[in-house]
Amino acid sequence: MTFYSPVVTNAKEIAGHEKLHLFEYVEDEKQYQLKRYLEHGGYAAWKTVLGKMKPEEVIEEVKKSGLRGRGGAGFPTGMKWSFVPKDSPKVRYLLCNADESEPGTCKDRVLMERDPHVVIEGMAIGAYAIGCHLMFCYIRGEFHHSIERIEKAMEEAYSKGHLGKNIYGSGYDLEMIVHTGAGAYMCGEETGLINSIEGEKGMARIRPPFPAIEGLWECPTIVNNVESLAAVPHIINRGADWYRSMGTEKSAGTKLFSLSGHINRPGNYEVELGFSLQKLIYDANYGNGISDGKKLKAVIPGGVSTPFLTPDKVDVPLDYESLTEAGSMLGSGGVIVLHEDTCIVWTILKLIKFFRHESCGKCTPCREGTGWLEQIIQKIEDGRGGPDDLEKLDSICGNILGRTICPLGDAAVMPIQSTLKHWRDEWQYHIEHKKCLVNQNFGF
Amino acid sequence: MILSEKTVKKINDKLSKYPKAKGMILPALTLAYKQLGYVDNEIYIEISEIINVPQLEIAEAASFYTMFPKKPRGKYLLQVCNNISCALLGADAMVDRLEEKLAIKRGETTDDGLFTLISVECLGSCCTAPMIQINDDFHENLTRQKLDELLEGLKNGK
Amino acid sequence: MAEAVKEKILAVATITCTIDGQQITVPKGTSVFYAARQIGIVIPAFCNHDKLKPVGACRMCYVEIEKMPKLQVSCATTATDGMVVSTNSQQVREGRKAVIEFTLINHPLDCPTCDKGGECDLQDLTFSHGYDDSRFGFNKMRFIEEEKRDTFDDLKIGPEIVLNRNRCILCYKCVRANKEAFGEYDIGAFERGDLTEINATPGGEVSNPFSGNLVEICPVGALTNSDWRYKIRVWLTKTVPSICNFSGSGTNITFYKEDHKNFVYRVTARCNDAIDDGWLSDITRYGYQIVNSESRLKTPLIKKGGKQVKASWDQALAVIKKHMGEIKDQSGGVCIGGLISPSLDNASLYSFSKLFRTIFKSNNIDFRGDYRYLPSVTDSPFTIAASQPFSIADIEKSDVIITFGTDLIREHHNEYLKIRRAVNFFEATAYSVNPYAVKTADIAKSEMVYSPGTDELVINGICLAAIEKKLVDSSAAAKLKPKISKLSLSELTKQTGLGKEQFKELAEAISSAKKITFIVGEIVARSLERDKICAALSNLNKLFGVQDKGQLAVLSRYANSKGAQKLGLSATPYEIVKAELKKIWGEYPDCQPRNTDSMINLMKKEEIKGFITVGTNPMRLYPDRGFASEGLEHVDFLVACDMFETETTELADVVLPLCSWAEYDGDYINLEGKVQTGKQAIKPKYEAKAAFEIMELIASQSGVKLFENEQSRNEEIEQLLSLNSVLPWPDDFLEIDYDKKSSRDDYPVPLFICDDPHHSGHLTEKSPSLLNFSDSAYVELSKGMAAKIGVADGEPVRVESPVGKIVVPAKISRVLNSDVAIIPRNFSSTQTTSLLMRKKRVDSVKLTRVEE
Ligand SMILES: Cc1cc2nc3c(=O)[nH]c(=O)nc-3n(C[C@H](O)[C@H](O)[C@H](O)COP(=O)(O)O)c2cc1C
Ligand code: SF4
Ligand code: FES
Repeated sequence: MTFYSPVVTNAKEIAGHEKLHLFEYVEDEKQYQLKRYLEHGGYAAWKTVLGKMKPEEVIEEVKKSGLRGRGGAGFPTGMKWSFVPKDSPKVRYLLCNADESEPGTCKDRVLMERDPHVVIEGMAIGAYAIGCHLMFCYIRGEFHHSIERIEKAMEEAYSKGHLGKNIYGSGYDLEMIVHTGAGAYMCGEETGLINSIEGEKGMARIRPPFPAIEGLWECPTIVNNVESLAAVPHIINRGADWYRSMGTEKSAGTKLFSLSGHINRPGNYEVELGFSLQKLIYDANYGNGISDGKKLKAVIPGGVSTPFLTPDKVDVPLDYESLTEAGSMLGSGGVIVLHEDTCIVWTILKLIKFFRHESCGKCTPCREGTGWLEQIIQKIEDGRGGPDDLEKLDSICGNILGRTICPLGDAAVMPIQSTLKHWRDEWQYHIEHKKCLVNQNFGF
Repeated sequence: MILSEKTVKKINDKLSKYPKAKGMILPALTLAYKQLGYVDNEIYIEISEIINVPQLEIAEAASFYTMFPKKPRGKYLLQVCNNISCALLGADAMVDRLEEKLAIKRGETTDDGLFTLISVECLGSCCTAPMIQINDDFHENLTRQKLDELLEGLKNGK
Repeated sequence: MAEAVKEKILAVATITCTIDGQQITVPKGTSVFYAARQIGIVIPAFCNHDKLKPVGACRMCYVEIEKMPKLQVSCATTATDGMVVSTNSQQVREGRKAVIEFTLINHPLDCPTCDKGGECDLQDLTFSHGYDDSRFGFNKMRFIEEEKRDTFDDLKIGPEIVLNRNRCILCYKCVRANKEAFGEYDIGAFERGDLTEINATPGGEVSNPFSGNLVEICPVGALTNSDWRYKIRVWLTKTVPSICNFSGSGTNITFYKEDHKNFVYRVTARCNDAIDDGWLSDITRYGYQIVNSESRLKTPLIKKGGKQVKASWDQALAVIKKHMGEIKDQSGGVCIGGLISPSLDNASLYSFSKLFRTIFKSNNIDFRGDYRYLPSVTDSPFTIAASQPFSIADIEKSDVIITFGTDLIREHHNEYLKIRRAVNFFEATAYSVNPYAVKTADIAKSEMVYSPGTDELVINGICLAAIEKKLVDSSAAAKLKPKISKLSLSELTKQTGLGKEQFKELAEAISSAKKITFIVGEIVARSLERDKICAALSNLNKLFGVQDKGQLAVLSRYANSKGAQKLGLSATPYEIVKAELKKIWGEYPDCQPRNTDSMINLMKKEEIKGFITVGTNPMRLYPDRGFASEGLEHVDFLVACDMFETETTELADVVLPLCSWAEYDGDYINLEGKVQTGKQAIKPKYEAKAAFEIMELIASQSGVKLFENEQSRNEEIEQLLSLNSVLPWPDDFLEIDYDKKSSRDDYPVPLFICDDPHHSGHLTEKSPSLLNFSDSAYVELSKGMAAKIGVADGEPVRVESPVGKIVVPAKISRVLNSDVAIIPRNFSSTQTTSLLMRKKRVDSVKLTRVEE
């Protein structure tokens, strides 16, 4: 089988590499096999948990570590787990969100393809912490190789007693199902994902009730991103304090960043939170600068749902708080770099087309608004823009922002709003001159 | 029955693992699609009978997801990612090139039934852009030359 | 949030919040939307529906809540203690305006040609909340039927429903109601995003028995029905409150009428939470069309030389006077009998009874024309079971619901929906126990299908299982056991086809229930052994104390069955009713009472010579057509009153045109004993008269008045209705004897004749809309049964019983899973009741494929 996977960093050569854990063995071609995984200390955390820890202790440890969700919202993982009602007579579910479909993000895939057991181990520990006996890994349908690797790993784990009945003689039973998606960005949104497993369309649900109270089949349900879960075995093995010691005060640990676009060394990098975005882009061990020696125009720091950063804002630490302060968000860690020849209108048109296509259609502002926005932006891109179009865009974005069921509506308009603010002249130019300000030509 | 015994068995195996049968809609559609390369109303009815879920619910779900073509496609389904990271590296031009080389437009199938070309949203391959998915396989870091070789290879039955 | 949830929560806790400056205390769990409504603030909404779970999709119901930066949707936001809400702030108004704008961008501005104009939520809310002009400068999205490109936006998606996808605003109410409330899967939302479209299931149509509701709850002109569409603008009609005439529940309805044309245009719901939740069955919704029917009987007819010819009322009455007088004079009033429909109002029923008992001095009356033998004693177990109190609203409050011997969707569509609601919204557990698989079972925890004809054994089995598991009081158990243990539990399992586990499951459910609803239906009521089955139920009730913690009753079936019971319309009324009648009238005939069955027998013996039917059609409905027709053909003088020509009027010497319930004010008593009034919507059509008038006219031929005036009539009725008509169960456990089931190998398939889900009785075939759903008889078979005889859906099948034979198309059922045959009785085109034998407990037939 030809095996493709996004390039990763030469992890070992980077200063401070001893702290890297998610990518510690990522370049080991055999790491996906149980044998090698065990050689590298795999399933030790799972054994510790089942042998020595109560579920509350696991939650406490993860809370203490400061781990925050890597799927986009950055919600503290331990705290989320603690929301599952202790006294509920219902069964509980843990869902691993491996839908990775935020444009600009391709990190979860690397973990699943290259280190699938750590994902399963993390899921298992999370499941134990919330008292779940059936967990699902929801992988987007296009990721055939990830699916294959996770399924194989799952079979291996079952056959060696890491999953199944009475694991390690602890009396704990845990089953796992790999559920695959079929092409819908919305199924990455946690309630869309739950609906999708239930056999519904991947539409958002109103909250409350939050999934931790009433999720899959109306039972308490926790949804965690692949990367969040993959960090958990390391936290158990090395301790919450070790994890806390990395990153910043409020953004502990390391995070994977997918660097793409106009960059010399695109790839997935594991860095401590608080790492400089500037460094990530320009350092020779990382992005190594803008491609073709061009100047930087904009950076989308956390996947296409996050507002654009102007070059003067790029000297920012990559952590949840700093990016918010800089006017954007850490999101899923999909850093997209745009060089000077990129037309902002064209870029935004790409994005809004995506969001229109992916809007689930349940709530009015998102369903109707994204289509309307696309039509206006297309008109401007085609050189048919009118003088009041920008105002209209402002107003429509404002009418969507904060008014939708799920954050997709916000995600669709925040990038637009950021460019309307920072590149308004370019928008204006496009309308007045009926063409791009820049001379864009992305050859192939 | 259009679904093969093998597919039906796979559906039934998985069905036993799900707490609720309706959860099997997506897995069953996926298995059906894997066998046939498309799904349609007759398939919904067959699945409905196997997992005992109303045909409507299956049809609704199938219509929502993009990965279930409703008509048979070419032997090779070429899906070009056209989202931003790939587009920044020339995905648009790549689609143009494919259109030209295959003499079809997006969404069409070549006369010999070999290729269907579509452009799709982000496939999670942003750091290795531009890319194309051909059936199950990702082909990444594409260049003009790599793409041409790839097509030639497929045409020659490789 | 729904009323019943509120009630449940009320017991727990309340919260107090402030809405637009007003403090309000509501049950915990109430949404802001309903909290506001309680103080008269109506928040605009598209997707919210009182009886469906909130989805928060349309975003019209925004409110501003202190300490929350974003606007919140009030339909899906629970009010909490101390919450301060503003429903009309600047921000809220702008939010709504934006939603209206988004909603309108792809909505055609075709109000002048749209049938919903005048009652469109979008139109109304645009006027009150929207912008004056449009900022949307693009072409609107337009769905066009592929084959009819460019010309046609409307799409027929069901026998009665027309869809215009362009007008749809995707509130999803239709799809939600269909799934959540009706359990139907024939309409869905397909694709996604702004391409989402509502449509019928691929290859299918929207034809479920509740489909009309989808049109009614559509907030715009996306769903319309051919019944009402383009016939009249809503503002040209007047509304009149009435009651459904086709159901025992007395579903509340509104007539839309127009005076000049003296025409009823449609029926919509008139939501009465205690009864119907505002959902109507299609029968209720479209059944009214019979009122307007061109084929109604227009004048009286009298038989002359073997042919019925038009006559005036005076002529007809004179003929009646002559013949009935002769019979009475020569043979006595006991030779006159009558049968009346239990769908008629109190005044008509009571006048009928009074006519017979005080003028003809006869006790030969009945209202159950479609039941076999009826008990001729007043306190038979069936009569007792049928007199038990029942509350529809209590269904929702029950944690355990058992339906026994009832195919609810064909008998009690309203209760069918209530049970679904209890299960889907209030977490009740339902059990369906029937001789064949029924639709209700999809929400039941367990469906138990027993062998036809073993009903009382099933009940015994439940009792024995409870005794064995020690779930019941041991002294009661000791008393009951000897009376029912002629057959051991394991023998019962053999006979009934149910497993021991199933008996135990039911026993456990009944004994552990906190509040129980135990519904017994027509399969029991129409059984030859109804008394035996009800005796077993009496035991069960006593053993488990069912009624101490809930309700158990045989539900009455027709619009005024309960009234007929209370007013003494059977040959043997309740003793207490009889005593009261004697008191009111100062007399009561002491001749022998004759029920339908014995009257027909006497007709054959020429001991009943004169017979009057009112609104009923025994020729079609009596469960033995051969028997009924032999009787009726023998009658010397037959008077038939009906709205239409029927198999019975055809035989009559005098035919009198009867009013529909829309043509006069009438009181009806629903299955709960609740008296409701159906108001007159239009003047009597043609020369039709109400039954109470006809009775008075017949009486007047003898020179007497039944009543001084309307008031005195109503007072008499009042007096009867004030009696407690609940009969006490027997004090002791009853012995249930057992006779071995005999089955004939040559007629192996049990047959059930009942109503089509889109029809009720003999009248609804005059409703064009209902005919569009179902227009002729068929035999409904399980897939397996069809395979056995080698027929596909729609292929003709010969159905033969020992006494009759019909050929009807097969209809492959989606729910049946055993070898039974179900045939509707509603169509004059097929004599289905000719297959039945009145002395058979379980009719059975032989099915064969008809070779071309
Ligand atoms: C439109 C949308 C798409 C999302 N897609 C993903 C995704 O592909 N993967 C993911 O892990 N989280 C995704 N999320 C975030 C999830 O809703 C959820 O917050 C996350 O899975 C929680 O896991 P975490 O706490 O470990 O981050 C998405 C959210 C939205 C609103
Ligand atoms: S914001 Fe968009 S994706 Fe989210 S619920 Fe609304 S329509 Fe669906
Ligand atoms: S009524 Fe609240 S969102 Fe529609």
